[in-house]
Amino acid sequence: MKISVQAVALWGKRAPSHSITAIMVTEDQQTIVTGSQEGQICLWNLSSELKISSREILFGHTASVTCLAKARDFEKQPYVVSATENGEMCVWNVTSGQCIENAKLPYRHTAISYYHCSFRMTGDGWLLCCGEYQDVLIIDAKTLAVLHTLISTQSSDWINCMCIVHSTRIQEDSLVAVSITGDLKVWDLSSSVSSIQERQSVYENESKSLDCTNCRAVRFCTYTERLLLVVFSYCWKVYDYCDFSLLCTEFSQRGQCFAGGEVLAAYRLIIWTEDGHSYIYQLLNRWAQMGNSHKKYSGLSKSIYPTDGKVLKETVYPHLLCSTDVKEYKSFPFIMGFMNERKEPFYKILFAGEASGRITIWHIPDVPVSTLDGSPKEIPVAAAWTLQDSFDKHQSMSEGIIDHLCASKDGTESAAVISSVYIPNLDKLVCGCEDGKIFITLALHAAKARLLENISLLKHTLPHKILKGHSCSVTCLLYPYSKSVRFDPSWLVSGGQDSCVIWWDIFTEEILHQFTLQAGPVMNLLLSPECYQLKDHRIVCSVCSDHSVALLHLQERMCLLHARKHLFPVKMIKFHPVENLLVVGCEDDSVYIWEIETGTLERHETGEMAKAILTSFEDSHCLVMDSILPVSQNSQRHKNAAYKSSSSYKLGALSCNLPHAEKSSDKVTGTIHVQWPFTILPVKTKWNNVSFHVLLFDLEKLVELLLSSQLNGLKSSNSFHSYDTLKRAKSTAEKRTLTLKRNKTSGCLSPMDGQVNTIFTNQVHRDNNAARSLEESGGIKRQKKLKSSKKIRMQPSGKIDANITTDTAKLLLSCLLPWGVDKELDNLCVRYLDILRLQCPVSFGLVSNENHISLMLPGWNSAHCGVLEEHTLINLVSRKVLDLSNRYTTAAQGQIEKKNGLENDVEGTQISQTIFSLLRKVALVNKIVDMPFELTNGIDSSQKLEFIRNRWRNTEIFSPSFHSFYGESSNYKSGSRFPDPGNISLVKLISCWREQSVKIIETIQAVLLAEVQRSMKTLKKTSIISQPVAMVENGNGEMSTLPKIEQTEQTELQYIKNIPLATPVSVVKHDSCSNSANFQEVEDMPDRCVLEESESPDEMKSHPWMSKVCSCKVC
Amino acid sequence: RRVFEPESLLNNYSPTIQEEEFKWLLQEEVHAVLKQLQDILKEASHRFALSVGGSEAAVKQENFMLGSSSTDQVKGVLTLQGDALCQADINMKMPRNNQLLHFAFREDKQWKLQQIQDARNHVNQAIYLLTNRDVDYQFKTGSEVLKLMDAVMLQLTRARNRLTTPATLTLPEIASSGLTKMFTPALPSDILVNFYINLNKLCLTVYQLHALQPNSTKHFRPAGGSILHNPGAMFEFGSQRYEVSHVHKVECVVPWLNDALVFFTVSLQLCQQLKDKISVFSGYWNYRPY
Repeated sequence: MKISVQAVALWGKRAPSHSITAIMVTEDQQTIVTGSQEGQICLWNLSSELKISSREILFGHTASVTCLAKARDFEKQPYVVSATENGEMCVWNVTSGQCIENAKLPYRHTAISYYHCSFRMTGDGWLLCCGEYQDVLIIDAKTLAVLHTLISTQSSDWINCMCIVHSTRIQEDSLVAVSITGDLKVWDLSSSVSSIQERQSVYENESKSLDCTNCRAVRFCTYTERLLLVVFSYCWKVYDYCDFSLLCTEFSQRGQCFAGGEVLAAYRLIIWTEDGHSYIYQLLNRWAQMGNSHKKYSGLSKSIYPTDGKVLKETVYPHLLCSTDVKEYKSFPFIMGFMNERKEPFYKILFAGEASGRITIWHIPDVPVSTLDGSPKEIPVAAAWTLQDSFDKHQSMSEGIIDHLCASKDGTESAAVISSVYIPNLDKLVCGCEDGKIFITLALHAAKARLLENISLLKHTLPHKILKGHSCSVTCLLYPYSKSVRFDPSWLVSGGQDSCVIWWDIFTEEILHQFTLQAGPVMNLLLSPECYQLKDHRIVCSVCSDHSVALLHLQERMCLLHARKHLFPVKMIKFHPVENLLVVGCEDDSVYIWEIETGTLERHETGEMAKAILTSFEDSHCLVMDSILPVSQNSQRHKNAAYKSSSSYKLGALSCNLPHAEKSSDKVTGTIHVQWPFTILPVKTKWNNVSFHVLLFDLEKLVELLLSSQLNGLKSSNSFHSYDTLKRAKSTAEKRTLTLKRNKTSGCLSPMDGQVNTIFTNQVHRDNNAARSLEESGGIKRQKKLKSSKKIRMQPSGKIDANITTDTAKLLLSCLLPWGVDKELDNLCVRYLDILRLQCPVSFGLVSNENHISLMLPGWNSAHCGVLEEHTLINLVSRKVLDLSNRYTTAAQGQIEKKNGLENDVEGTQISQTIFSLLRKVALVNKIVDMPFELTNGIDSSQKLEFIRNRWRNTEIFSPSFHSFYGESSNYKSGSRFPDPGNISLVKLISCWREQSVKIIETIQAVLLAEVQRSMKTLKKTSIISQPVAMVENGNGEMSTLPKIEQTEQTELQYIKNIPLATPVSVVKHDSCSNSANFQEVEDMPDRCVLEESESPDEMKSHPWMSKVCSCKVC
Repeated sequence: RRVFEPESLLNNYSPTIQEEEFKWLLQEEVHAVLKQLQDILKEASHRFALSVGGSEAAVKQENFMLGSSSTDQVKGVLTLQGDALCQADINMKMPRNNQLLHFAFREDKQWKLQQIQDARNHVNQAIYLLTNRDVDYQFKTGSEVLKLMDAVMLQLTRARNRLTTPATLTLPEIASSGLTKMFTPALPSDILVNFYINLNKLCLTVYQLHALQPNSTKHFRPAGGSILHNPGAMFEFGSQRYEVSHVHKVECVVPWLNDALVFFTVSLQLCQQLKDKISVFSGYWNYRPY
C-alpha cells in the first residue's frame, strides 16, 4: 500500500557527493542518467543546445550502482534499469522519477542489455545480464525475475562484456560476449526464444579464445555488418564477424588503459580510455594504400607467408583522425559512453562521468576529419557540469534549512550543518554545525522561514537556541526520548569531531556532562536496548572513528566500558543482558566479546565461529548498525525507517508488526510519529558529510486533522473532545497503554463499519467514548500525581496540534501551488487563503514506495523555463500543468454548480474550509494516481467506483476511530467517497492522465490550480457581496496584501513580546482545572483559528517554548 | 594510565603542519601502501595460477589425498588444475556389505570449482582497480582514496567469503548438478557426491541414500539447503523420495588456498589501516577540497 506522503527537499549549500560509476543517455537525448558509488541515481536534463542541468536524484539503492540500461522500448515507456553491487535491481521511470519495479537477486551484474523480439516474444522483453557469475542470465524486464540462463559448455566463466548483434544480413539476433579469461562466445537469441521460454538449455554456438584478458567492450559494426570491435584494457582489436579472424590490433600507449569503444560509422571507430581521452580512428585497407604496388606485393606476401594466416589477414590498420581530452582537474576513473544517432535533430554524443561527479559531453561531428596537415584534431568539450554547479547556480534553491540562522549570527558564510535530528514530539529540529554549535529551532517555523517569501522578519525572529560546547564539528546527535521513553525528554546527546560526547538539557541549555573519549571523531551514538537491565539502563553507546565502542552511563556520568581493540569498523553491537556482555561484530566478520563489568576482552573470534556467535545472540537485544559511516552509506535506509514509520500513520496498530519497522529504535517511535502530519527527515550523504532535510507531509493525516478541527468548529461533539484529549494524552507518559487500549476498542469497532448502520455505530461509538473517557480520567488522575508542570507541557502539545495542522496545511499549499502563473490569482491566494508566496521553486519529492524516493535537485526548473521567465513562473513543474489545468476546469464545469455550496455555506470558517477542501482534492488526486493500473483501467466506471469505495473502506478499517467521526459529517462523505457523480469524471480524467504518464506532481498542480482559480472566483464574488464581513474576519481593515503582511508581522512581534505573558496564563488555566478544562480548551481552539487569521502568532504563543517554564527533571 | 593519543596531538598542530602531513600522506604514503598492496595481491593471484591466454598446459596439476580422521570408508585422490578438478579417483567401502566401490572422472570431463574461479576473479578485479594508480597518479582528496579502498575491500571480502562460505545446496540441487554424470563407472543411483572448498580445504561429501517407499509411514519433510546434510535428511528427486542414510566427509588441505586466505586478510588490514590514516584528517579533507 502506498503512502500519501508529499515530500519537499531542503538542500544545503553543498551538493551531495555523487561519484559516477555508470552513465547513459536516454534515446530521446533529453536525459542523462548517472549511477553513483553512493547508490543514488541522478537524472540530468540535456537540452537541445547540449546544456546540462541537474533534475532529480533517485534514492532507493543501498549500495554502489554497477550498471544502467534501458528497460523498455524507450519510445513507449521511458524506463531505465539499474543494478547494484549487492544485487538490487530497480526499474525507474526517468521522466517521473518513479520506481516501477525493484528486486534483490543474489547476482551482481556488471552489464545489462535490453532485448525484445516483438514478433516472437510476448511481454515487455528481457534483460540480458552478465556479471560476477558464470555466463548470461535472462531476467524478465517487467517482473525482474530470473527467467533462464544462457550456458556455455567450454571454459565457462564470468562474462566481462557483451553486445547484441542485430543484422539484417545475418537474419539472426545473437549475443556476442567475452569472458573474463578472454573467450569470445556467441549465443543465438532470436532462434532460441522459444527454447528459453520452455526452459531448455541454450548453449553457445561459437567459442573462441581471443588470447587477451580484461575485455572492456565488444561492439558489432552495423554499417558493414561484418566487423567486430573488441576493446581490451591494453589493446583493441578488430575481427571479421564471419570467421572471427583478426583484422587489426592497436596497443595502448604506455600507462594508458582503454575503457571502451564504439563503432562510429563504416570503418570508423571511437575508442576511449580510463583517464578520459578518446580517439577516433579511420580503418584503412593496407593493400589499397599501397596503390599500384598492391597487386604486385599481395601476390608476393602470399607466397612469403602462406601459412601464417594472422599476418596475412591483418589487412586493415587504424589512422587517428581526432581525439578528445578533459583538460582540467581529473578524477579517476572516467566512465564513458557514446551515443550514435544519425537522424536529426539528434547528435553523436560522447559522454563521460567522473568519480568527482562531473559529467562531460562532446559533440562528435558527423564526419570527423583530421587537421589539414594530417595530425589529429582535438574535438572541444561541449559541456561539463556537476551537481555542485547546479547548487551554486541556483543558490536560493540550495539554501539549507537553518542557513539563515547561522549567517545572521556572524555575517560571514554560514557553517554547514553536519548532523541533525528531528524531535517529533516537540516539533523541534536540532542541527549540529561544523563550527561546533548546535542549533535548536522550531521545525515547522524554520521550514516556513526557509521556503516562504516576505517573512524576512520572521527569519530574524525565528526562535532558536544555540548550544555551545564542541570545539569542532558536531558529527552526530541523539535524542534518546524519541527512541525510548525511559529517557528524559529534555535530554540530548551530541558527539563531535573533537571526540567529546556531551549530554545536554535542551530546555535549560545546560551541559549536564561532557565525556571526553580521546578516540577520534564520534561516528555514531546509539541507545542500549530496552530490556537491558544494567544499572538503571540509561546507557548511550558511542562508536568512534578508531573503531572503539564506549558505553556511557549518563546519570552516573561515567564511561562504563571503552572497548578499543577492534581493527575494523563496527558493524553490529549486541548486548547479552544475563551475562553482562557486549558483543561487537566488525566489518571483517570478526566478533569481539567484552565483559562490561570488568572491561576485559573475553573472546575474539573470526570466521564460522564469529558467525555462529552473532546468530546465537540473535534473540538477545541488539543495536544493528547498517554502517559505521554515519555519513550514511545508505541514507535511504534511514529513509526506509522513516517511511515505514510514516506508513504506520495509516496502518495504525499494524505498525508494530512490520518486520523491519525501525530496527534500532523502540516501538514508541511509531506512536509518536502518528500524531504529526509533518515531519522533517534529516539525511546525510556518504563521503562528503553533506546533510540535507526532507520535509514530509502526510496528506491523509493532514486532511483528517483538518477535518477534526473543522468538525470541532461546527459542532462541539462530545466524541470529538474525547478523541482530542486522547490524542493529547498519547504524548504523555501514558501513551503506550492508552494507545493499546485505543487499538483494542477500535478493533471491536471495525466489524461494525461493514454494516453502514450509522446510528448504531454512533451509539457503539459513544459507548466506547464513555469507556475511553473513563480511561482518560484514569490517565489524568495518574498524571495528577506527577508534578503539575508536567501537565502543562502536555497541554500545549495538544493545543499546538490544531495550529500546527493549519500551518502545515498552509505551508504545503504554498509549496504545491504553481505560483506566478497569474499575478492576480497569486494575490488572491495570499489574501484569501492566507498563504504566502514561495521565495524560490520547491524541490519536490516523489515517494514511489516505502524504499524509493526521488527528489528534485536545484535547477530542475531551468529546462522548462527560460532565463527571462524564471522570475515570473516560479514554481510551475512544467508547461503541461497549465494545459492540464484547463482541461480539468472544463471537465469539472458540470460539477461546480452542484458543489460550490461548500465555500459559501459557512462564512465564518472560510479560510480553513477552503484550505481543507483544496487539500482534500490533493489527497484525492494522490489516491487516484496511487491506484493500481489494472483497476483504473477497468472500463466500467461503476466498478471503479466500487473499488474506490472499497479502498476507502479498507483504510477505514485501519483507522476505524476516524470513521465514526466522518460518519457524522455528511460533507466529508460526499466529498471523498465519490457518490457524487461529478467526481467520477474527474477520476476518469486523472487516471487517464496517469496513463499518459503525466507526473503526479503535475497532476496535483494542475488540479490545485484549477481548484484555486475556481474557489478564488467564488470567493471574489462573495467578498464583494459581504465585504464587511470578510474584513472583520481578516481582523484587518486593509484589503491590499502588503500592508496586511506588515500587520501580520506586527502582531507577530507583539506576540513574541507576549510570550512570557501568554505562558503563565495558560499555566494558570491549567492548574486550576482538570478534565473539564481540557474540554473547554479544545472547544476554544477552532474559533481562534478562524478569528486570528494570521497563523504565526497563535503558534508562537502556544509553542512549547513555554516548557522552559516547566523544565521538570522528573519526567 | 596514560594512553598515547594521536587525536590530542593533532589538535595542537597548526593547520599548516596538518596540511603538510596530509599532503605527504596523499603523495607518498598512499602510493607506498598501494604498491605493497599490489604486490601482495599479485602474489595471491599467482596462487590461483591464472593461465594468461587460456593455454591449459601452463597450469600445473596437483594431486591431493583425501582423508578423514574419523572414517576410512572413503578414500581418494583428486587432481586439481587451477580452478578445475581434472581427475578424481574415489574408493569407497559400502558399510553394509563391505563391498568396495571404485569410480573416477571420465577422461573428457572436468569439474569446475566455482568458488576458486570466483575468488580468483575477485582478486584480479581488485588488482585491476589498483592499476592506473601508480606513482604518476596524484590523489587529490582523501575521499578519493577512501572510495578506492572501499571498492578494493569489497572485492577482497568477496574473494575471501567465496572460499570461507561454501554454497548451501539442497539435496535435489546436488543430485541434478551434473557431478553425478561425470564418473566412470557411473555412480550408483543411491550415491550422491559434492565437492566444495571450505577455507583452505577441498572437501568431498558422499551421501548414501535409500529410497523411501511411496507408502512409507515415515513423515516426509524435505531438507532445506545446507553445506553438509546429516543422515536422515529427506528429499524428492525425479518423483522418488530418498533419505540420506550415511554421510562421509573427506577433505584435504590445499596449501596455496591457505596462502591466498592469509594474503586476503593481510591486504584487507592494509586497506583498513590506510583508510584509518586518511580518516584522521577527515576534519581537514572533508571540508576543504584541495
